[in-house]
Amino acid sequence: MNDEQIDDVLKTAAPAPNALNPEMLRQIAESMKPTLGPLRPLPPNWVMSWGLVVICAAVAVAGAALKGFYGIEKMDALERALIFSVLLALAWAAASGLVQEMIPGSRRIVSSGTLLLIVTAGMAGLFALLFRDYQTTHFFSAGIACLVTGLLFALLAAVPAWLVLRRGFAVNPVSAGMAAGTLPCFAGLGMLELHCPNFQAAHVLVWHVAVIPCSAAIAMLAVWIWRRR
Amino acid sequence: MPAESNLDNLMAQYQLGDFDAATALVETVSPQLHRFFLAQLISRTEADDLLQETWLRIHRVRHTYRQGEPVLPWLYAIARRVRVDHYRKTARTIAHHEVVEDLSTIAAPKLEDANHSEGLAAMLALLTESEREVIEMLKVMGMSLEEVARATSCTVGSVKQKAHRAYKKLRVTLGTAQLGNINKANKGRSEGLS
Repeated sequence: MNDEQIDDVLKTAAPAPNALNPEMLRQIAESMKPTLGPLRPLPPNWVMSWGLVVICAAVAVAGAALKGFYGIEKMDALERALIFSVLLALAWAAASGLVQEMIPGSRRIVSSGTLLLIVTAGMAGLFALLFRDYQTTHFFSAGIACLVTGLLFALLAAVPAWLVLRRGFAVNPVSAGMAAGTLPCFAGLGMLELHCPNFQAAHVLVWHVAVIPCSAAIAMLAVWIWRRR
Repeated sequence: MPAESNLDNLMAQYQLGDFDAATALVETVSPQLHRFFLAQLISRTEADDLLQETWLRIHRVRHTYRQGEPVLPWLYAIARRVRVDHYRKTARTIAHHEVVEDLSTIAAPKLEDANHSEGLAAMLALLTESEREVIEMLKVMGMSLEEVARATSCTVGSVKQKAHRAYKKLRVTLGTAQLGNINKANKGRSEGLS
């Protein structure tokens, strides 16, 4: 049996559109009437995307200003240029993905899961390339402190980001939660890169990069719990 | 299927608060959405409920539609979400009542019974949920690959892949059913001769 024959079989077997009860349709329309008014449209995608990036950058800079810019001071020009331009590019990609996620029927280039994977792998690859100090002094104590700080600032960025996005999320809230968690992690990660002077490869690769999946996992869990209530 | 430009206009007017446009949109799109729900092996009453729930949700999130974007994927993306939520809720209710019946035997008809006359449901029951959905939208609703990709929050490549897998399964299933029918017809003929 070829594809054309299968098409024919599907067309023959498909149910014809039903004549629906006009009373039901009238009731549906009537139920809309009390709240039917002109709407404030959503801002364009690029405005929302850049708005989210600016929020993340502002939280990261504010955090580093509070705790000290020791990390960026210790970096050379190449490290600064590479790390912060990649962070900016990935933050913009995550923000665009998040904005698309909140609008039903948007064109998708990558899924939230793939985006998370790209961001994590991208940052890990970049750090592996730049940091060549393979010592592991105070691996756990220093690492956990960085992870907690990064997640805390990610959480701080998530609040204003949610204010920007609160009118959306009509479909797939868990996936949106993953995207929403991936984005604020840039605030946490950005803050760590500005602040943390520990350039040991293992520290940066494990604990700094861990902010990304942990932030996404926390956001997904929060959305899942909220949905089950 | 209603003309896309007409739907665009109705949607734009609906967003501006025009009740007549809202009514026209409900009347134009509801049969398609109802058919979409019915194709998922559910009863007509359930399809009615899901249709009403879909319109409630559409109304709540109508601000997320952007003028100039295709309307159908936006509508189907919401309808699809309503259906998924309904499915999860039903599954939870069943779990709560500790119904131990094997759901797969309820949902999936016997392979040998899947001939043309059994209808769409029997054929599509052999596919996975996502494959069934893609086939319905592409072949039953007549949507384009791009529209299906938007409605299901997938990439076009992923839609193509699902459609390919579904066709592979359907080819085997329908081929087997066709062979069974021929054998049955031959057997009947030989019995008639003897």
